Amino acid sequence: MQAQNAALNSLLRRYREVVFVGLFLTLPLFVYFLRDQKRWLDRALIAFTAPIEHAIVVAVGGVTDVWGNYIWLVHTRAQDMALRQEMLRQRAELQLAGEITTENARLRGLLELADKSAPLKLLAAPVIAVGASPHSHTLRIGRGTNDGVQAGEAVIAPEGIVGTITLVTAGYADVQLIVAPQAAVPALSARTRGRSTVRGTGDLSRCHLDYALRTDELVEGDLLVTAGGAGFFPKGLRIGQVVNVQKRATGMFLGAEVVPAVDFSRLDEVLIVLSSPSELAPLPVDPASLRPPDAHPSPGAHDTGPRP
Amino acid sequence: MTLRNLLIVCVCFLVAVLESTIPVLLPPFMRSLRADLLLAVVLYLALHDEWVQGAGLSFFAGYLSDLSAATPAGIYAFLAVLTFVIVRTTASAFRADGGLEAAALAFVASLIHALFATLLFKLLFSDSSLSLHIAWLGSAFATGLGAMPIFALLRRLDESLLPAGETLGPGARARAR
Repeated sequence: MQAQNAALNSLLRRYREVVFVGLFLTLPLFVYFLRDQKRWLDRALIAFTAPIEHAIVVAVGGVTDVWGNYIWLVHTRAQDMALRQEMLRQRAELQLAGEITTENARLRGLLELADKSAPLKLLAAPVIAVGASPHSHTLRIGRGTNDGVQAGEAVIAPEGIVGTITLVTAGYADVQLIVAPQAAVPALSARTRGRSTVRGTGDLSRCHLDYALRTDELVEGDLLVTAGGAGFFPKGLRIGQVVNVQKRATGMFLGAEVVPAVDFSRLDEVLIVLSSPSELAPLPVDPASLRPPDAHPSPGAHDTGPRP
Repeated sequence: MTLRNLLIVCVCFLVAVLESTIPVLLPPFMRSLRADLLLAVVLYLALHDEWVQGAGLSFFAGYLSDLSAATPAGIYAFLAVLTFVIVRTTASAFRADGGLEAAALAFVASLIHALFATLLFKLLFSDSSLSLHIAWLGSAFATGLGAMPIFALLRRLDESLLPAGETLGPGARARAR
């Protein structure tokens, strides 16, 4: 017996490295399959690192602002002129948009299709960090459960949709971008109203378009907007433009790619679509400004509004 | 846990924080140049640590990446340990004590790491793109640049903790004990 134990110990000592390295290689697989368990350790580590990240961004941002706002003012006059011109142009556009809105309301009244959609409750959040790995598809934002943010809520930008909240701590939240391989968004063509699904590929500049019917007549440059539905993004927000349309010889669906409307590498602030009233007053953002002009709900369709 | 392991864990935390915040602070046109600094730590461990200790610390470094990746937990931890095993197995072929050698090793390792990550994503999520991204090159270049200060920091840390007369190299920590 003693000899057997000694032999076993000797064997374990000899293969100790192989056993432990094998353990460290298989341990992630256990973690992967236990992913639905409570992620208290993850939250604790994020609660520890996120304030440091926030402090770094605020400190460096402050120094950059002082430099940019008070010291580096060489081209200010030229920029001022350009901005004035831009403001005049936008005022003209705003006036036109106001007329279109009035006309739209009048037509809706005529059709007795009052818009029953609840206004979106939006909360602005600063981007304080990105996923640690260059191959990750996440943002960390400076809002959490203290601000009424919940997991699963939609995150958008003025250009279009960004992603969904995956993990929330008291003051911070992680956002999974729509380009992540496990992300999927129900979509609607703004022109043809055909339905499809936009799936992430892991590439920041491209998504796949799935389940788009060949009969939809999608063409390059078609704008896709969110289709809405329970648990998804509110209806009518920009997703991106269709490119590389391939009509296969057989099958029901066509193949295509989607260029996201948002440049994810240039996001400094995002908007969270709150699913329940928060104690904090949301920023006065007009949801209509986030929608493309031709993406108003079709007759009979209702905006799904924020989802839990 | 030894003092050295504790310090490596602290370095991993520091590196993870820097890796997450630097892209936000850079001008928008430079934000695609994202350095994988935790990979540089794993490479250093593979070249200087014994098997068990290095694999454990690599697992922790990968886990930190997992924390902010919003992918199912474990993917980056697996990739980090796999990278450690591959580089450790072939460690005798490398002489990367720092400087340009470390940068070159990190550049190549970053490309291989990106390929493994993409293959793993393809395996787990069938819609993942398998194309070679041009962004990989930018990221690998940034990782190469970032590896130089990381190697220098860790080397200095090791030199301050090693007994007099001991030199760094594969298994050096084990010999020191």
